[in-house]
Amino acid sequence: MTVVLTLNDVSKTYGGKPAVSGIDLAIAGDSYVSVLGASGSGKTTLLRLIAGFEEPETGSIVFEGERIDGTPAHERGIGFVFQNFALFPHLDVAGNIAFGLVNRRRDPVRDKAELDRRVAEVIRLVGLTGLERRGVSQISGGQRQRVALARTLVTRPRLVLLDEPLGALDAHLRARMRDELRQIRRSLGVTFLHVTGSETEALTMGDRLIVLDDGRIGQFAAPATVYAAPASPAVARYLNAYNLIRGSRSGASFVSALGPLPLAASGDARSASSNPPPSAPSGTSSNLGPAAADGVYAIRHDRIEVRAPESVPGADEIMVPARFVASEYGGASMLSFFALDTGQIVEVEEHLSRGMPLSLVPNSRYGLAWKRDAAIVYA
Amino acid sequence: MSRTIEASEEPAMRQVPEAGSISSAAAQRRKARRMSWLLLSPGVLWMTLFLVLPMLMVLYVSFWTQTTFTVEPKLTTASWVRFLTSPTYLDALWTTVRIWLLVLASTLVVGYPVALFIGLLVRNKTLQTVLLVLCVIPFWTSFLIRVLAWRPMLGTQGAINMILMKLGIISHPLEMLLFSELSVLIGMTQIYCVFMVGPITFMLSRIDPNVIEAARDLGAGFWRIFRTIILPLSMPGVVVGAIFVSVMVLGEFATAAALSGRKTNMLGNIIVSQVGSLKWAFAAVAGVILTLLMGVVIAGLLKVVNLRKEL
Repeated sequence: MTVVLTLNDVSKTYGGKPAVSGIDLAIAGDSYVSVLGASGSGKTTLLRLIAGFEEPETGSIVFEGERIDGTPAHERGIGFVFQNFALFPHLDVAGNIAFGLVNRRRDPVRDKAELDRRVAEVIRLVGLTGLERRGVSQISGGQRQRVALARTLVTRPRLVLLDEPLGALDAHLRARMRDELRQIRRSLGVTFLHVTGSETEALTMGDRLIVLDDGRIGQFAAPATVYAAPASPAVARYLNAYNLIRGSRSGASFVSALGPLPLAASGDARSASSNPPPSAPSGTSSNLGPAAADGVYAIRHDRIEVRAPESVPGADEIMVPARFVASEYGGASMLSFFALDTGQIVEVEEHLSRGMPLSLVPNSRYGLAWKRDAAIVYA
Repeated sequence: MSRTIEASEEPAMRQVPEAGSISSAAAQRRKARRMSWLLLSPGVLWMTLFLVLPMLMVLYVSFWTQTTFTVEPKLTTASWVRFLTSPTYLDALWTTVRIWLLVLASTLVVGYPVALFIGLLVRNKTLQTVLLVLCVIPFWTSFLIRVLAWRPMLGTQGAINMILMKLGIISHPLEMLLFSELSVLIGMTQIYCVFMVGPITFMLSRIDPNVIEAARDLGAGFWRIFRTIILPLSMPGVVVGAIFVSVMVLGEFATAAALSGRKTNMLGNIIVSQVGSLKWAFAAVAGVILTLLMGVVIAGLLKVVNLRKEL
């Protein structure tokens, strides 16, 4: 794996408030990396620093072996696809796509035939054939997205930064573009760095996934690894797939307001300490409020089973009582909300292909059961 | 029940006895039409009475017969012939066109960078508003004072000459500063510049900053971006500003009268002096020619940019 982009200790503050702090990152060439973070987690700032619209206060950015921080944006050769597309409103589709080739300072394309050939090529690649002479206000959102992508790809950057590129599209189009983005990237062999606030998008798109947490890198790993073993409670929270219960570890159990939750026998415990290092006391706990006990017990939505309140849990299981609040039908699965006795809401996802779940009566009490070794403990 | 009976029953059921037999959609359309007439009528009435009719009247009077102190409604082309054959008046027409073009150019040269600064570099809306208000501050004084204030500035013993002499740049006061066409141009540029700054600033501030960043990201340098993105996107503002400035400068007479020492005569000055000596028919000819000139200028400017797209 060749590294195309390296960030060393990159920081940037806005009005005294850190937007990104101490980012260390190495992005491989010919890969699709997605960046997940809540709004305000610094993900757009990160992209703008790499593109050159902002300059870092500390640290360095190295692109293809050359240090590029301090180099003006138009000399970096890194593509940027804006969330709002930022098309040139006075130019038609072909004019937008040709802009970079014609107007770039380095090596502009002067030969008309060469220009036409390269524009036509990328128009075919993104599937805009026939729309060359349309104004950019006369095409649909999905087509505008393609123009924005084509405009960048035609200049053949080695790295393309995409700032929530699918955010402005409707759900159906978003699903289609996800697939197309991956195909286009693969056919060109460039690196995509795709920023998104949607955990589904982040998990499906990236070969590797960066979770940004409060201006720092919370985790950088394959999506499956991040999903199965989030490095910190904050990362687990961004994935929107975990119920987090605060408390502290005490011997063989995790003590929370719910009472002690027995942990799995130490050998096969999925305690986070045996997984990626939980070196997370830095800024992560701030996301969970001022924690008296800063341990967190995480259990994934789909690992919980709903049972009758009087049923008895197995020896390797935990069961806590809860009151059913409401549920959302999601087609392939059902997401149900339960209130624990502490008042905390717990989400349970049941896959309908496994058979119809228990029919639940609002405000009735049920038992929520899960395997002890399914829990991840940060303590 | 058969279909035919159903069909014949339907219209009977829809019929509303009182409100006539119109559908509610038609009623809504009718109401909207009535509303638009209501909104339009004061303006249309005003413009008809005080713009269209007087203009037709001016055109009519321009063909009346002028004697020394009176005009008679006897149709003749005498005034037109006199205007179009007299070097004095043709000269005034040329002066008007020349001053208009020069002021247009100078307001653009002075105004565009200001607009660029306020509209593009200042991204804070409050600060933008404050700066625009600052541009308008000269308008808090009366027109006459604004014009006459140039005299102590530009005169032979005025501020500029004094400073230049103190600095040793010149030994004799510059005579050409005041009571010349230059002073008229300076005065008009100052007065009308803000009408150029406003519309251009508005258009520039509407440019999405991401669009400029996108151009940078695609490798274009500043001047390239200015030429290919910023300038074309600000053109509607330039055209609107140019229309404002043109209409006001073409009809100008006061600045020329106050700052040129009556040496520079524009069509406006001709009209004022002819009306002063009760030469109504002749003033009407000058008025018609001025109106035609403005019409041509505005039509030409509107050809430059499709303003419909900006509405």
